[in-house]
Amino acid sequence: MTRRLLLHVGTPKTGTSYLQDVLHRNRRTLAAAGISYPADRFDAHFLAALDLMRLPWGGLETEAIGAWDRLAEQVRDHHGTSIISHEIFAAASRSQVGRALRDLGHGEGTEVHVVLSVRDLVRQIPAEWQENVKHRSSISYARFLRQVQDPSREGRIASWFWSVQEIPDILNRWGHDLPPEHVHLVTVPPPGGAPEVLWQRFSETFGLDDLDLDLEAERVNPSLGVPETALIRRINASANRQLPPADYRPLVRELLAHQTLSRRVGSPRLGLPPEVHPWVRDLEDSWVAEIRERGYDVVGDLADLEGAPAVGAWADPDQPSEKQVASAAVDAIKALLLENGRLQQEAGRLRGDLDAAHRDLERSYLRPTYRLREKAVRRLQTSRLGRGALRAYRVGRGRSSRSA
Amino acid sequence: MTISGERRAWGWVAHLRGGGTTPWAAWHGEGTREGVYLPGAQQLELLRRLHLAAQRHGGRPSARLVERVVEASAPGRGTPDLELVGATDESPFGPRPVDPADLPDAELTRVATSLLAEDLVAAGARRPPEAPPLIRPWRTRYRLVGDPWLADPAREGMVARGRPPGGRGSVVVVVGRDVATMVADAWTSRCFDEGSLPWREWLDPFAAGHRVPPRVDLERAAATWARQVGQARVRVVLDPSALPRLVGVRRALPQPPVLAADAVDLARQVATVLGLLVLPEQRADLLRHTLLPRLLDAPGPPLRLPAEHAAWATQRAVRMRDRMLRAGYAVHGDPDLLVPRPEAVAPAGASGPTDAGVLALAARLLLDETKEAPR
Repeated sequence: MTRRLLLHVGTPKTGTSYLQDVLHRNRRTLAAAGISYPADRFDAHFLAALDLMRLPWGGLETEAIGAWDRLAEQVRDHHGTSIISHEIFAAASRSQVGRALRDLGHGEGTEVHVVLSVRDLVRQIPAEWQENVKHRSSISYARFLRQVQDPSREGRIASWFWSVQEIPDILNRWGHDLPPEHVHLVTVPPPGGAPEVLWQRFSETFGLDDLDLDLEAERVNPSLGVPETALIRRINASANRQLPPADYRPLVRELLAHQTLSRRVGSPRLGLPPEVHPWVRDLEDSWVAEIRERGYDVVGDLADLEGAPAVGAWADPDQPSEKQVASAAVDAIKALLLENGRLQQEAGRLRGDLDAAHRDLERSYLRPTYRLREKAVRRLQTSRLGRGALRAYRVGRGRSSRSA
Repeated sequence: MTISGERRAWGWVAHLRGGGTTPWAAWHGEGTREGVYLPGAQQLELLRRLHLAAQRHGGRPSARLVERVVEASAPGRGTPDLELVGATDESPFGPRPVDPADLPDAELTRVATSLLAEDLVAAGARRPPEAPPLIRPWRTRYRLVGDPWLADPAREGMVARGRPPGGRGSVVVVVGRDVATMVADAWTSRCFDEGSLPWREWLDPFAAGHRVPPRVDLERAAATWARQVGQARVRVVLDPSALPRLVGVRRALPQPPVLAADAVDLARQVATVLGLLVLPEQRADLLRHTLLPRLLDAPGPPLRLPAEHAAWATQRAVRMRDRMLRAGYAVHGDPDLLVPRPEAVAPAGASGPTDAGVLALAARLLLDETKEAPR
């Protein structure tokens, strides 16, 4: 059977978390159809990407050691279709792409297809700023926009942003050694459309249409509104130095941002300032023209990459309504209190279990045979002869432990 | 990509692979494509600098090192691989092509750190052979805390003499020296453990916040231990000659190495990449027992507190001294030793590592590993 690889390399904020969740939860169904999604944990491909790109990620990198080689080996060993998906692959440099394709068997019998899901920049720019904030950044929106618009692209924010969002450049890096028909662009439909359209496009691209998959989402990367993002940014500025990454992820990113604040859907949504729209639209037009010329396989419509014009009043996240931020903060405090209460109950339950274990242990110590043995050991330890006898007994028993 | 630009670029790649040192701007030869993609400007310029550095000592990089550099990628977030200006058509997409000579030294060091980390992993930890020492049952029970750069080698020396820390009734010895040097020690120690932020990014918030790094705060360490074991068993040692007697030995204990600031910063950068190759414990082992010995003769001034932070360090030292004396801890050595000496503070405008120094050191280490005789 021909080895075929569908390598989904980005971009962030295009429904990738949902896709990866569906693929991971349905990997047995996929395997039955000859499709391998080689991931023993939901973030296996993320770890492989960190390893390939030698990318530190708040301490998670220790879990990534060797992850790329393991993933590549699984793909090479599977005779059929394999799927790899993570959006940070978009940032891989040319040399990293070269290594990745070589490791995955490109040029040695594996038919490699690169998939890039894409969304208009009008939505991507605010979404990327929000992702920065959800990853501990306290950069203001205005400063983020200045850095992104700076043609020099110097600094970590700008260089990362363009490396994962500039579609023609990502395709230059990932697609330069592939025929255009092996490069697939999945466009995210414009806002307001039916939510299942994006999945249908993914399904068509990955050849999943005939499979009976469980599409119930467990992991998604939901968006926040303006006051909620402003609140997280303030929390970052205040708590970053004290709160280690291992605590930040479950408490701020998951509990506050994803599970609590993302549910406040009535607040103003993040958007582009009106004065940035023309610059973004020019960029989008140039990208669409370039992609059309290159002849890639487009699943969806390239017109989806032309963002919606500015409408209505724009809410500035650097100067949010304090009333709305306070309301979000109350929700955040409530969530933290409830979580704290849950943890206290859990701690109480565990304390109870521990006390019970201690009591059981004490009861076993009170057994006459144990007390007799303990007494004998204590007496033997008081004399040289006794200590020698004990040592001989322990050597004879084959244990170096000095416990009775 | 224009034909002439592409050929010129491949010609330069071949020139560098062959040991050439002509800068890109002065290169006019042509060559043929020898790969799927043109190596990045950072990799090629690093290779040129390696040739220049090797030539100064009459050598050249090994063929293996040359290929490793050409295929390397800069780790972590930052500037992506850049194209050579003039080698490609001016594309509206992607980062701007550059003249490699204009690249900052730090960008070249990024590429080098990836290779150095691989070299360290390949070399493995070179700990001194561990013949399990005979544990002296009559040893003085002690714990060594405080300035980690002072305490760690002393503790290792004690363990090697069969006197591991801990045990019932241990006396807690809080070692330290002047606050300015201890601040540099704390950063150095972090760089050789898990890596750290760059020197000034790490240091400046402490100074701005009028506090010292936790590992420098001897008074806090003493108070923490006093609560656990009682104040009578806590000793603060500022005079290094008093330490052996307090831990029950006669011979002097190992002193911490004095490293150039550039060496410490290189270790910091390598530590970040190592974190993706080995587990934290192995990383510290590789940094301290394999990399550090190779950095001992690195040229350059040691790390010193910048002059603008001298007043902050003095203020914190005076406060620390007064609080310790007020609390009544047994202090061995003059408490005024906490106050920074003038030589512990760098002259104005000269503090910390330099990008050029770090790159030169990285090049030296890469060449040391793979030195070849001139052909």
